[in-house]
Amino acid sequence: MTASLSSVNGDRTNGAVPVPASKRKWNWAWLGLVPFLAFLFLFLLLPAYGVIRKAFIGADQQFTWTGMSDAITKEDLAFRQSIKLSLMTALLGAVLGTMLAYAAATAQRPRWLRSLVTSFSGVAANMGGVVLAFAFLTLLGTQGVGTKILKTFGWDLYEGSFRLSSFAGWVTVYLYFQIPLMVLVTLPAIDGLKTSWREASSNVGGTSWTYWRRVGLPVLAPSMLGGFMLLFANSFSAYATAYALNTGAPLVPIRISNYLQGDVSGRSPMPFALAAWMILIMAVAMGGYLLLRRRAERWRT
Amino acid sequence: MKRTNRTRTALALLTAGSLTFAACGDDSSGDSATTVKPAVTTVAAATTVAATTTVAAGALDALTAACTAEKKVNLIALPDTWANYKGILQAFRDKYPGVENPVANPDASSQEELDAVVNLKGQADMPDSIDVSPPKAQIAVDEGLWEPYTPTLAAQIPDGLKDPAGNWIAAYYGIVAIGTNTTIVPNAPKTWADLKKPEYKGKVGLNGDPRKSGSGLAGVMAASLANGGSADDILPGIQFFADLKKSGNFIPVDVTPATVVSGETPIAIDWSYNFPSLVDELTKAGLSVEVNFPSDGIYGGYYSQGVVKGSPHQNCAKLWVEHILSDEGALGYLAGGAMPARYAELVKAGKVTDDAKKNLPADDLIAQIKFLTPTQIANAAKALEDNWGPMVADA
Amino acid sequence: MADVTPSVSGAAVRRRRTARLGPNLVLAAAAVFFLAPLLAMARFALQNVPVIFLGRSTLFKNYSFEAFAKAFHAPQFQGTLVLTLKLAAATVLCTLALLVPTALYVHLRLPKARGLVEFLTVLPYVVPPIAMVAGVAAFFRPNARWFLNSNYALVPFYVVLALPFTYRAIDAGIRSIDVRTLVDASRSLGAGWFTTMFRALIPNLMTSIVSSSFLTATVVMGEFTIAATLSKATFPVFTFQYQTSSARGGVALALLALVGTTMLLGMLTLLTRRGPRRRAVARF
Repeated sequence: MTASLSSVNGDRTNGAVPVPASKRKWNWAWLGLVPFLAFLFLFLLLPAYGVIRKAFIGADQQFTWTGMSDAITKEDLAFRQSIKLSLMTALLGAVLGTMLAYAAATAQRPRWLRSLVTSFSGVAANMGGVVLAFAFLTLLGTQGVGTKILKTFGWDLYEGSFRLSSFAGWVTVYLYFQIPLMVLVTLPAIDGLKTSWREASSNVGGTSWTYWRRVGLPVLAPSMLGGFMLLFANSFSAYATAYALNTGAPLVPIRISNYLQGDVSGRSPMPFALAAWMILIMAVAMGGYLLLRRRAERWRT
Repeated sequence: MKRTNRTRTALALLTAGSLTFAACGDDSSGDSATTVKPAVTTVAAATTVAATTTVAAGALDALTAACTAEKKVNLIALPDTWANYKGILQAFRDKYPGVENPVANPDASSQEELDAVVNLKGQADMPDSIDVSPPKAQIAVDEGLWEPYTPTLAAQIPDGLKDPAGNWIAAYYGIVAIGTNTTIVPNAPKTWADLKKPEYKGKVGLNGDPRKSGSGLAGVMAASLANGGSADDILPGIQFFADLKKSGNFIPVDVTPATVVSGETPIAIDWSYNFPSLVDELTKAGLSVEVNFPSDGIYGGYYSQGVVKGSPHQNCAKLWVEHILSDEGALGYLAGGAMPARYAELVKAGKVTDDAKKNLPADDLIAQIKFLTPTQIANAAKALEDNWGPMVADA
Repeated sequence: MADVTPSVSGAAVRRRRTARLGPNLVLAAAAVFFLAPLLAMARFALQNVPVIFLGRSTLFKNYSFEAFAKAFHAPQFQGTLVLTLKLAAATVLCTLALLVPTALYVHLRLPKARGLVEFLTVLPYVVPPIAMVAGVAAFFRPNARWFLNSNYALVPFYVVLALPFTYRAIDAGIRSIDVRTLVDASRSLGAGWFTTMFRALIPNLMTSIVSSSFLTATVVMGEFTIAATLSKATFPVFTFQYQTSSARGGVALALLALVGTTMLLGMLTLLTRRGPRRRAVARF
């Protein structure tokens, strides 16, 4: 059917024979993907299936919604905290990250600045949770150098309810990898803002503000929005950092591991229901990111 | 490209792909103990029978020989500074040269020990012997994780300190105390009521989450006894910590040797036997520590040790249990400030010098210790499961 | 031809300076925010003065590498480090062996599948590590216990974890060279498929192969979630546990891991810049 048409045009199938391709030939070609597909099936889809299946199986081995509903009701604090945290770090990360990306992309003078920012962002975005948590503990922990310095300037960080393992603390620490991630995602988009557009805008009498409002931000919007969704997903699923700060934090990933490890028999559906909810949320966020990225790529030739 | 070439391409890539996939997916480690196992099981069968039927000196020698063949005992969650485990581990190595006793994850909670037993089942580094709090010991009984073993000195252990079915024994016990890094907090709290003072804001830590860790549970139980609770009622203790958390005094940081030294938890609620070994480290860093036994709530508790079912080095696990009950082990615990199970026997035999007793709490405090019954332990654990989260951890 | 003379008027320079004030402030603030934790970590690991005693007089006292030395002598240091390095090597090999043929195959033989494959390589994002380890417990523990017994059971999951980055890098490399011409040329000279692959294609893909290898290695060396939940004794897990008994030692190890990762990624940047075409690496 469609196969014969494209092979008649002979474009994308590297000089394929201009006869209607038989069904057997196409099946044969797809076999080459079997190793890859089988690998993903075994080590990605089967675990995901295991999670979803166990989330919906109750104590009596029957299908039930109670696992999923229990997860939401019993751990509603964890969900609220995780979502709040992810929204906050995604928002702040998106704004600050874009600002930093813009500053780095348009910097003229130290010519190594842009590549320095890019390289550092690459390191920081991937920084393992344990390393980052330790770093902030030594800086802003109760016995941290930063805490002490701030105290000498009169600001007792721990006077209020601030703790590294409180909401404000998590936001501070998470931003350390959220901002660089945003930088990495947004830099290409900012590069795509052609200077000719800026000149054209001022040529027809626009100010800097008009440029941004009418040209710059609309072009950047899909990238920024996509970055926001990516950052949301990244923050929601972050485990190691929060765990290293407080092994009992009320966040969904920590809860999953608490249940997984506290249940020697593995019969409770809680961790699996929580994980199933997490997969759902991640699917929505990542789906949004991918769609927006495709839109953003339209501006990049 | 010719059709045959394309076919050959596909075939080649497919073969390459499948071969590598097979290699990727089936990488079992070569460290499996399969070659060692047959020898061990036959020897173990012989010696286990001997050790459990008669309390004969010969049994210990046979066990030693079998263990020397195994060369290793996998231990877990035994910090150097906990009841002088550093000394006890060293004494084991001195007594049985050629047998290693590595300790995985020294600061693991009792729950994490059970997780390791389940997670590492069948692996060469599966824990051979564990040291867990009473509620986790009960879970281990329910899940069939213990290998019942009656040590040679079992007759000398009081009934309250061993499992009737032979699953575990309790080699030591101690009292909950409040230790303070007095360089950071000059005015150390002396009672549970003291802990509520506003000057201690952001300074009080518990050793572990009470739902997972025995020291945490003990701390809450002791607080309960000081606030109108009893061995059957741990709720006042949970309420105490809830109040402490609301006032900001209680911080959700696990007390570890590191946090006491660094000053992150200047006031630590922990077993008294966890402080003597820390004194050296603290003095080296120029800090001082004061340990107080709060008079308004005295709680004593033990830990259960035993052999893990199906572990790779069964004989060495049994030898380790023998060691911690032996004189060397008992004196080691004593030096660390914990009461060994066979304390009465040791005193009778004149083996306890005054110097050995210097880290122990006062005798009258020890006399007040009453261990919880299994039912009381189970109730306390359940109350914590249900209430600690909503009232304290997530509040 | 128009002569483009740069503007030299004082007003223009002043305008440029004020226009850069905002961005420069942002850069300065970012520098402080990102460097401060690293400096604090380095100070804590290198200086044996508790913060409570830290003052102007003690600021430069007691610097040494003793925390590092003590950490190196910790009983589990060597074993866990070696295991993590072995896992990294195994993951890199498996990744390359799986992805390079697949990417080439899709490019040469099955372009229709490209969209599907790209979608599949982003799928690991939807199942984050903590959900994946729950899945491992849900599926593999009851059904294939023997698989989890080995430490190398982590490798396939690490391959999946790194998939988005690595596939992108390899795919970008393939798209930047004219694979078809290379293959045609090589085949027309009489080379078989393996020769073509190893002597014509792979040398030209070296940059992207090496960059995806480095990326995979950094992912593996920092992976904590799956290893910790499955009680595998890898280096990040050991660092976390060691910190509870020796704070300075744990931070020293974390610092080491950070320096190692930075060096790897630094080499990566150098490599990708040296090629005749600038390769954009690891676009998310």
